[in-house]
Amino acid sequence: MRYKQHESTVIEPDMTPMIDIVFQLIAFFMMVTNFEQTQADERVKLPSDQLARPPITSREKVLVVNVGFKRDNQGEKIDSTPYVFEGDVETAVLQYGPRLKEEKRVAEALYGPGGHKDMVIEIRADSETPTGLVQELIKLCQEAGFEKFSLRAKQLIR
Amino acid sequence: MRIRKSRISATKIEAQMAPMIDVVFQLLIFFMLTLKIIPIEGDFNINMPIGQQATESPDITPPPIKVRLIANEDGSLSGVQMNQRQLGSDGLAFDRLNAEIGNLVGRRDNPFADELEVEIDADYNLHYRFVISAVSACTGYVSPQSGQVIRYVEKVKFAPPRRPEG
Repeated sequence: MRYKQHESTVIEPDMTPMIDIVFQLIAFFMMVTNFEQTQADERVKLPSDQLARPPITSREKVLVVNVGFKRDNQGEKIDSTPYVFEGDVETAVLQYGPRLKEEKRVAEALYGPGGHKDMVIEIRADSETPTGLVQELIKLCQEAGFEKFSLRAKQLIR
Repeated sequence: MRIRKSRISATKIEAQMAPMIDVVFQLLIFFMLTLKIIPIEGDFNINMPIGQQATESPDITPPPIKVRLIANEDGSLSGVQMNQRQLGSDGLAFDRLNAEIGNLVGRRDNPFADELEVEIDADYNLHYRFVISAVSACTGYVSPQSGQVIRYVEKVKFAPPRRPEG
């Protein structure tokens, strides 16, 4: 019996659509990824407001101060005392004055004498922080020589 | 003269896709894992210059609008007052405050509309979110038609903190 010899054919799938979609996905993730080093602390649960809009031009001289509570993994408060968070360092709000004076010296070294006066203190305070402590913090900043302040809030989109 | 025809046929060079797909997938996984969705943050500017000596100025500036925020013991809001007038303590208190400030700024006979300043005087233990609501109510509103922010007052400051006694 004679067998007809067929050439073995390898089916090559068309990869073009898949590569197109994968490139689109990469472009999407690159666009939405925030490479900017933010000084925001995740422990701080900011209040939200409709009028809180990001500044039109980004500020050059900024000092971010995060005020919040120690929280567990579920986000529940484990200590009712608010602290200023700087990475792993936690400082009681009323004891933050010396650190602010240090920041003033750094600002003057970087930007020249009086350079700290243009620096904006961005206060990121937890929504449940007692207002008096935020005011005390502003007072400590004023005593250190800072004059410009902004209060951060999440933008509420309705 | 006989020209010999070359018998070498043109061969199609096929690019190796496998390494490129490998790298592309690695990139995709990297971006997927490092993606952190951060909510948009905005801010309110606060006008708190360091105490300066009073200077004689020919301009007469109007006194600041005083907004008083009273707290319950647990830090929740007990009442809102504007220039010693009660505006309530419910969820609409800040809407009323916003309307009152809007009336002041929008009055045609108010020559100081651009120079108005708001002083927020809050109880020490009041939760900070109510202060943000008050600052927001004083500074303006979002136009429902255009979605743009219409500003009322640019200057907002805090009264000295009311420290608890003892």
